[in-house]
Amino acid sequence: MRIAISAEGWDLEARVGDRFGLSQYLVIVDSETMAFEAVPNPGASGQRGAGIQAVVLAISKNVNTVFTGYMSQTAKRHLSANGIEVLTGLSGTVAEVLEKYKKGDLQKYMGVVRKPESRGAKIDKVALVHAVRSSASQFANLLPTLIGVVLLIGIFNAFVSKELIFSIFSGNTALDSLWGACLGSILAGNPINSYIIGGELLEYGVSLFAVTALIITWVTVGLVQLPAEIVTLGRRFALVRNAVSFILSIAIAIITVVVLNLIKGCVGQG
Amino acid sequence: MDKDRPQSARWKRRVLWTGFFPASMLVVYGILFAVMPDKALMALRSSGHVFLNISVPLFLVFILMLVLNLFLKRAYTAKFIGKGVGIKGIILTATAGIISIGPIYAWYPLLKELREKGVGNTLIAIFLSNRAVKPFLLPMMIAYFGWTYVLILTVFTILGSLGVGYCVGALVKEKSSLSFHV
Repeated sequence: MRIAISAEGWDLEARVGDRFGLSQYLVIVDSETMAFEAVPNPGASGQRGAGIQAVVLAISKNVNTVFTGYMSQTAKRHLSANGIEVLTGLSGTVAEVLEKYKKGDLQKYMGVVRKPESRGAKIDKVALVHAVRSSASQFANLLPTLIGVVLLIGIFNAFVSKELIFSIFSGNTALDSLWGACLGSILAGNPINSYIIGGELLEYGVSLFAVTALIITWVTVGLVQLPAEIVTLGRRFALVRNAVSFILSIAIAIITVVVLNLIKGCVGQG
Repeated sequence: MDKDRPQSARWKRRVLWTGFFPASMLVVYGILFAVMPDKALMALRSSGHVFLNISVPLFLVFILMLVLNLFLKRAYTAKFIGKGVGIKGIILTATAGIISIGPIYAWYPLLKELREKGVGNTLIAIFLSNRAVKPFLLPMMIAYFGWTYVLILTVFTILGSLGVGYCVGALVKEKSSLSFHV
């Protein structure tokens, strides 16, 4: 059996981590051979999503059981759904915990693991409540900006003239797509806002080329997120990826609208 | 993990940050009503019209969010990224990108970790590009642009992600010898 123990160090003398998501290492021990490996926890620095990263790490290491000081219910649920048993409230060193496990002192606290959920499994009440909460939270997150965008569109409609819009979006396919891509690269946030802004721009008579480029680059190119992408994935990767995405978004916008017009033309003729 | 103090401070910062934009819009409206009431009323009516238009698709978005949250877990999604080689690896990674939820910055640390474990730049780029396809936002997109457009755009976005992946893979050197080559 493979046991993952959250730990503050890389060896068996390390103390068991107080919090699963924030522990420095997961010490993974084969209970039969007592061979172990220490894997650094990617979420140890405490950034957003630390718990889920530790969960992914445990699942990817094919462990059967996790021992830790404390773990959130969400993390427990994810591990349990993957057939991994969790035992919390442990302290001392990794070696001491293993010793207790070998003596059989911990087994009495360990219940029967729920089998991984199968596709046809019924939706349980806890999962439903969790899903409703997550959805409500995601929805609540996107709502303030969406409200702001809609209010801004109102001001835009009241004050900005069509002439001003046409001075930027002149009707030239390539230039319009370029401007749309530039706008989408600068603006950030939930893509739902790009649909609303794009829809309103269409009402103004802005070409679908520009709107499509805006929608694509809104997600694929991120000047706002660029510093974070550079720090985590490297300068060259981030710059090349964003530059290539920007160029391809213009090409995709043009192809999409051309194909759409062809289909509409065929349907119209038919 | 979700109940500690740093998390709560972060949450407060986030609420302040996300509330800043709509609050500033309300301030602008307040000023407009004082200075140009006619124009402000016109702006408010226009906003109300947009709200009415998006209310039904927005409700459908919530329902889809609920369904996806019920059946797709982030831990499972992350398991797809970089799994398999060749076409299978591409398909699994693209699928992970499409079904991934949450803000992009929350995925960066995990992507970094996966790359250190040997997932290539090509697949990371494909994952990031496919995030442009948002299944739970389809009702809103279809409401604005029609399903034919949405279908064509989705197909070309997925195909385009392969182009982005190929270019990034060719232009950015892999650091690890374990990287996948596709």
